[in-house]
Amino acid sequence: MEYDLQFHYVKQAWPHLMEGLWVTLQLTFAANVIALTLGFGIALLVMSRHWFVRAPFALLIEFFRCTPVLVQVIWFFYCVPILFGVYLDPMPMGILALGLNLACFNAEAYRAAIQAVPREQMDAGVALGFSPVQRVVYIVFPHALRAALPVLITNGITLFQQSALVALVAIGDLMYMGKQVATETYRPIETFTTVALIYFAVSFPVARLAALVERRLDVARV
Amino acid sequence: MYDAKTQPLASLRNIHKAYGNLKVLSGIDLDMSPGERVVVIGPSGGGKSTLLRIMMGLEQITEGSIEFEGQPYITALNGKTRIDANVRKKMGMVFQHYTLFPHLSILNNLMLAAVKTRGMARAEARDKAMQLLARLGLEDKAGAYPSHLSGGQKQRVAIARALMLDPQLMLFDEVTSALDPELVAEVEQVMLELAEQRLPMMIVTHDMWFARNIASRVIFCAGGVVVEDGPPEQVLGDPLNPRTREFIQRVFHIHG
Ligand SMILES: Nc1ncnc2c1ncn2[C@@H]1O[C@H](COP(=O)(O)OP(=O)(O)O)[C@@H](O)[C@H]1O
Ligand SMILES: [Mg+2]
Repeated sequence: MEYDLQFHYVKQAWPHLMEGLWVTLQLTFAANVIALTLGFGIALLVMSRHWFVRAPFALLIEFFRCTPVLVQVIWFFYCVPILFGVYLDPMPMGILALGLNLACFNAEAYRAAIQAVPREQMDAGVALGFSPVQRVVYIVFPHALRAALPVLITNGITLFQQSALVALVAIGDLMYMGKQVATETYRPIETFTTVALIYFAVSFPVARLAALVERRLDVARV
Repeated sequence: MYDAKTQPLASLRNIHKAYGNLKVLSGIDLDMSPGERVVVIGPSGGGKSTLLRIMMGLEQITEGSIEFEGQPYITALNGKTRIDANVRKKMGMVFQHYTLFPHLSILNNLMLAAVKTRGMARAEARDKAMQLLARLGLEDKAGAYPSHLSGGQKQRVAIARALMLDPQLMLFDEVTSALDPELVAEVEQVMLELAEQRLPMMIVTHDMWFARNIASRVIFCAGGVVVEDGPPEQVLGDPLNPRTREFIQRVFHIHG
């Protein structure tokens, strides 16, 4: 196949792509902040002694894990405003949708990590006079965060990639900008290749970091 | 008001404990006076840890009650155990396995509970922690993390962490059992120093030499009851009860 690769169009559109990357990064960061905190809360709730607390959150987790992210994003954009009367700008809506999705995946990672907190640590917490809430804050959370960190980072990167789906609902992220540039320049191959490389350039080092963290934590484990 | 001269420090009444169908304690009665260092000995699985854990408020009981300094501390009522959290704050406990918080430096391990559960000012807690560490010869470890310490050092830090909260009774559950033999002495030395300061203690140990040195009273626990209770010379040296005698002969035979 004859095709004359011309990257200089892409070079011209570079600022647009960077603008899109910036939006993608903001989206990823905000969704991760929500998911790292909310995910822990959901994990605690889903481990509750009372089934009527456990059940709805177990269902929520399964809902987010067993439906395509694409459907979730679209559902949020079209159904949430109508069903719940919540009208948000696209960006906060995207953050909410992706944040909730990620929170459910992180909750699973936290849950496994919380179950692995040594019983002796909790005993020590009681012996030192910590209240149940203080034990969660000062003992369970740091333990769970450390143990779950590699998975949490991996989940975070996956979300960074999946965030490309919000281009569908007209958020000006990297993918959205890529589509625009491709349409305007008639250079889809160069543009989308560049977009892919940008995603890769961000994801790959972070994935390596996760692997490093995992090895480090294994060494530091008491 | 609690009067240390006339009232026991702790009095356990008819303590029963079962895990499901497994009866572990079947009516323990014990009065401990303020100056005492009670060493609990007995066969493995005899409920020694359970007894200490109950004292620490870590376990439910099926029956019985505990008073501490003349105040109600633990009571079993209709299958529920009520534990007074304020009285519990008067106990300190050190466990067999390292229970230091791995994500905190040694200094912060000592400071955390003092600041968060006793409302001590950070500066005050830091001073106190540094003094304790200095007393135990660990001041150069203040900034280190638990994973960088030897087992003996960790157990000394665990003792210091409990001492930060000025316990009225210290509970030690086989704190040297998991240590390499050469690290046992440094931990026992710290406990002997606390004994000299007349800190009330309840100690579970298999080290009979140490038991004889630190105890003011020895209790032999087996089958969920107190089989023999007396001064160390009697219980360890010339026990009255044949079961105690058999146990003592066996452990002294093993440990030389
Ligand atoms: N959490 C628990 N659940 C069920 N059984 C237990 C539990 N903890 C201890 N036990 C059992 O209770 C008995 C007494 O244990 P323990 O107090 O640890 O004895 P010791 O410290 O004298 O060796 C043992 O048979 C042990 O298996
Ligand atoms: Mg034991």
